[in-house]
Amino acid sequence: MITLILPAVFIGLLFHGIHRKVIARIQGRPGPPIWQEILHTLKFSFKQTWIPKTASMPMYVFIVAVSIAIWTGAFYIVFSGGSLLLLFAVFMLHKITEHGLGLSSGSPYGKFGAIRSVMSAASEIPLFATIAGIYVVTGSLMISDITKYQEIHGPLLIHAFPIAIALYIVILSKMHYGPFSIIEAKEIVSGNRTEHFGVWRAGLEVAYALKTFVLLAAFVLLFIGALPWYLMLLAMLILLVSLSFVCAFTPMLSPFDAVAMQTVITGILAVYIIILGVMG
Amino acid sequence: MFNLPIEGEELFVLEFGDIVNYFSLYTTTLFLFATAFIIIAIIARPERQTDIIFGTDAVYTKEVSPDNLRFQRFMAIACGLATLGAVCSGDLFNFCLFTALIGITNIGIVAGVNNRYVLNAAYNYGIVAMVATTFLFGGAATALGSCGTLSIWELAGLGMVPLAAKMFLVLGVMGEGMAPFYIAKAEITRAPGAPYVLMIHVSSLLIFLRVIEIILTV
Repeated sequence: MITLILPAVFIGLLFHGIHRKVIARIQGRPGPPIWQEILHTLKFSFKQTWIPKTASMPMYVFIVAVSIAIWTGAFYIVFSGGSLLLLFAVFMLHKITEHGLGLSSGSPYGKFGAIRSVMSAASEIPLFATIAGIYVVTGSLMISDITKYQEIHGPLLIHAFPIAIALYIVILSKMHYGPFSIIEAKEIVSGNRTEHFGVWRAGLEVAYALKTFVLLAAFVLLFIGALPWYLMLLAMLILLVSLSFVCAFTPMLSPFDAVAMQTVITGILAVYIIILGVMG
Repeated sequence: MFNLPIEGEELFVLEFGDIVNYFSLYTTTLFLFATAFIIIAIIARPERQTDIIFGTDAVYTKEVSPDNLRFQRFMAIACGLATLGAVCSGDLFNFCLFTALIGITNIGIVAGVNNRYVLNAAYNYGIVAMVATTFLFGGAATALGSCGTLSIWELAGLGMVPLAAKMFLVLGVMGEGMAPFYIAKAEITRAPGAPYVLMIHVSSLLIFLRVIEIILTV
């Protein structure tokens, strides 16, 4: 499993590059080459690195390590068929690392990014709806059980489509340049990552690449089922391109609109899950 | 754990007489995360928050006085320890007790900032936390009244705990873990945050994650 981490990081970074390229082409720009994010990460790895005088040490550094650690753990959970509840926990803990990144630097821009990060905790609610819905349908929260269920009953994407939409929105809320990416809005510079540069930024790029890889893989496993690795990558790529289309066509929402929209989506899903539970 | 396909396998059981705490893969992850942040609260120095002097181009950094630092650090560590108790507790009463303690220490962390707006916010949070305590222990009492026990070991997989009790527990946790309230108000921009304020969010999220596991299990 450890040996798969490096390829996953590489593919995650490549996905980020493809994401930027697709958005650029839709918007009529040439866009960066698709390997740009890999080059970025390498560049940041060798740039001069220092720590702001205002930072809370060692938390400023520790939070980067935590970010990498939790997504490495999430990678293990998804590919070992572990508990979906644990994946949910990782997703929530990621919120703490986002928040910690912004708080630890002492920068007002970082702090505003951190505040927006907690406000956008509403993006976790559709994930909870996903988990509840999957539990109602399959009777299990173990990813291995859910893939087995799909081998017998067919993909959940077809007979639990609204739940798939919920997870799709969760992944969309974590994509760069998306309608819900309020923590990285340009009016607050780079948001919670403003003061993390050099090797710290490279570490964050690695963590976020793993995050993208894990979330896309989780979607494919949960709603399409277990596939050979090349089909899995293809399905993840198609999913990513569809997300890029949404990001390219949708303006960034204001923080309150982002929260309101995610809450409404969750409400609709809650009604669907209740109906699903009552109908048996 | 409990032969339920919810939270992964059982790793360790810690008995204190009839109080039996448990560590599944899920709760151990939460426990380790809380432990890491307690260590950080002990060893980290606070951020020196940069702020802009209103109406000018000037910026200044806020310093945390040694007295405030000691108090906030103590409260953050206490909050972390209460979180450890809440995430590994094997019965609903202890879970509620530790969650209430998290609410109290969270108020302490906020109240440790010498600023009248922040203190006012701490007072408001105190009211929210007190109201939430009613729901929290009301949920536990309802579960006890209908099932005759509060042990998660006994209740796991039976589905005997009424939906109302589960809803009360969730409402109680939402009130005690008051991160959303703290963020919804502007005081966080006035109070230097890391690492002590972050402990509020760590504890809030961890007890929220724990209560989800509990309501799915019982």
